[in-house]
Amino acid sequence: MDVNVLNNIVYKSHFAFLTIVYAFLLIGCQSTPANKSAILLAQQGQFETAKQTIRSDYSATGKSKLLHYLELGMLNHLQGNYQLSNQLLDQAQQIIEEQYTISISESALALLSGPSYTTYAGKIYHRPLINFYKALNYNALANQASTGRQALLDSALVEMRQLDTYLIGIKDKSGGYDNEQEPSGLDNLTRQINNLTRPLFAPNDLLKDIEYKDDAFAHYISGILFERSGELDAARLQYQRSLQAFENGFAKQYNINGSIITQVKTDLLRVMQAAGGYANEVAKLKKALKSDSTKSAQPILNILQNIGIGPQRKQFNLLLNIDEEAKALVMTPILWGTRQEQQAQMRWFQMLYADTSLFDLIQNYASGDIGDVAMGALTKRIPLGPLWEDAVDLGLVSALEYGSRISVTYLEPVQKQINHSEVWVGNQKVATLNKIYSVSLLTLQDALNNANSEIQIALAREIVKAMTAQKAISATGLDASFSGFAKLATSVVNAVTASADLRQWQSLPAQINYVQLPITKGKHVITLKTHLSSGQVIEQTETIQIVDDITLWHTRTFLNKVRAQTTDSTFFNGKLL
Amino acid sequence: MKCNKTLLKLTPLFVACTLALSGCSSTKVQRVDANQEVALSDKWNAKDSQLVAEAMINDMLSFPWVNDHLQREGSKPAIIIQSVRNKSHQHIAVDTFLNDLKRSILRSGQADFVANKDVRREIREERKDQELNSSLETQNEMGQEYGADYALSGTINSFVDEQGGDRATFYQVDLRLIDMTTNREVWNGQKKIQKLQERSRFGF
Repeated sequence: MDVNVLNNIVYKSHFAFLTIVYAFLLIGCQSTPANKSAILLAQQGQFETAKQTIRSDYSATGKSKLLHYLELGMLNHLQGNYQLSNQLLDQAQQIIEEQYTISISESALALLSGPSYTTYAGKIYHRPLINFYKALNYNALANQASTGRQALLDSALVEMRQLDTYLIGIKDKSGGYDNEQEPSGLDNLTRQINNLTRPLFAPNDLLKDIEYKDDAFAHYISGILFERSGELDAARLQYQRSLQAFENGFAKQYNINGSIITQVKTDLLRVMQAAGGYANEVAKLKKALKSDSTKSAQPILNILQNIGIGPQRKQFNLLLNIDEEAKALVMTPILWGTRQEQQAQMRWFQMLYADTSLFDLIQNYASGDIGDVAMGALTKRIPLGPLWEDAVDLGLVSALEYGSRISVTYLEPVQKQINHSEVWVGNQKVATLNKIYSVSLLTLQDALNNANSEIQIALAREIVKAMTAQKAISATGLDASFSGFAKLATSVVNAVTASADLRQWQSLPAQINYVQLPITKGKHVITLKTHLSSGQVIEQTETIQIVDDITLWHTRTFLNKVRAQTTDSTFFNGKLL
Repeated sequence: MKCNKTLLKLTPLFVACTLALSGCSSTKVQRVDANQEVALSDKWNAKDSQLVAEAMINDMLSFPWVNDHLQREGSKPAIIIQSVRNKSHQHIAVDTFLNDLKRSILRSGQADFVANKDVRREIREERKDQELNSSLETQNEMGQEYGADYALSGTINSFVDEQGGDRATFYQVDLRLIDMTTNREVWNGQKKIQKLQERSRFGF
């Protein structure tokens, strides 16, 4: 067949062909990741199958080795294999620390392939959670131990000290929750200019105050563990850091209600009274709490309820094209999946990328026509303006003739699945648990916070890939004979490798609830009733032994089906009512 | 344009070299002397444990309480290790450190050691078993245990200062020896170790 005829056929049908290719790729994108399947299996009590799934899909030496250790660490934690869980989480922590050194060779490879070809380094909030779960493991081992309890509790405190060092580093970089005011040195004009030069994609003010800059929850748990070991100064410091972070923004950022802050104040008051020498602070706290009580000698039970499964990172695709008339790059979302997923993708696009701000609309108006302005909510246009000629010379315009696929992460909106949870001792309701930590919001805010850089890197990567392919076609002489076919082929190859990095620690809970109870020493039958938004109630019962003045006890509650596994520190007899 | 073509030709070579270099690393294991320090990180290691134990026991035995005890009692003092709590930010194998302490004391020949509570319990069980099952000639009597004269206890603390890829870690071991009759603190020792770990932000 004549080469020109072949090119002509290819040219006419390229969009249809690319659409089919993208459709196949998108179908592949919607599959459930192995670690999500694993935690769903664990939810049904099938721990060994879940662990086998992790072992076969995430090698202990590959690019996703961190997930191998994180997921197996969590599955063993849920099974009550606390020592093994700690060994695995230790490995995970070491991998994260090794990722401080960025591999240039790996970064170069990622530029020509995609982010999923790099070694997964986890998220900024994963390191504190590793220390938290390791501390819970040591604490549970101490709860079970008849001898050597203090050594195990000391090990839990080692984790808390490491966590504190890590959080100090984060606070140094971010400023923590100490400085909530606007920088005072800026005059009005400078502030306006700053607003104009804000990130290219996200609308003004949307991404404010969602950075992970300290962890009030981690400080609080640290305080409990230090107090349990009788280290009152360290406990006081941790409670104070927790209170400061909760009051200065953490509670607002993660939607934590005021009863948790009241609890932290109560604990701070207790350790200050026990340590002595804080008369002024004690008086202030008593006034704030409207309490005249002196320190209570009654033992305390702290209950941590890990609930549900954290949200899943999903892939969202955009088609990158060149609009030669408007001299602009144009990104159009390709909605795919269920109706709910498509709605979430469109909202994510409109919220973060679409040309909906006044500045964007004016830019579109200036560079295109009124139609572009109207299309603003459905596209993202990047006018090249005076850079257009350079783009032509560099081959960018030619390289994007058949378009290119860009993939970024999105998350579905956080849904309120839990109404509330109650603690019953015997046949009496004694307390209501309150949300103290939201992994769902942490994950969502992290994705939102990284959305700008993610799409900019993805955009740059796809342009580099398209231009490299274009130059290769020119260098080999295919340009003269098989131009259309060669370009289409490289578009397809680039589309195959363009994928967002969806890796994440999937076995984390969606949120953590907490309550503190006064209790007597001895054996108690405790029931947790979790009321779901659907009206269902999940009921779990366990007998626990109180031997210390302060006890920290944890459990995991799955929402679809409670687990059947038995351990000393998790519920074993659950039923869905 | 010529420059661009050259760059284009060199790019695959560069990528191939980079990938080849990154793929060159392989696992290698070699046997090293147990006394040789292998410091892969700033964590507390076997060499730290050994050096601190030796230094502290040398210091402890140089204090006057040993001679005072010999003159007073006419026998070597017997020591028991109560507890050494790890209050550092690293998981430290405290048992290994305690064994290093014991070895240093026993090697000096100036003091004896009494087994700790758990070991004593096991030995008593064994003696009970001997009463039932061993011949009279080989049985060991109950109530002949050696009581400790002094109790050794202490803590391991640490401080960390971190900035970027640099981390300074400061370990401090504090031990004290208490006369079990009078509760007098006859010795108090301290040993400090400082380590600096530097990591580069970029590497191949």
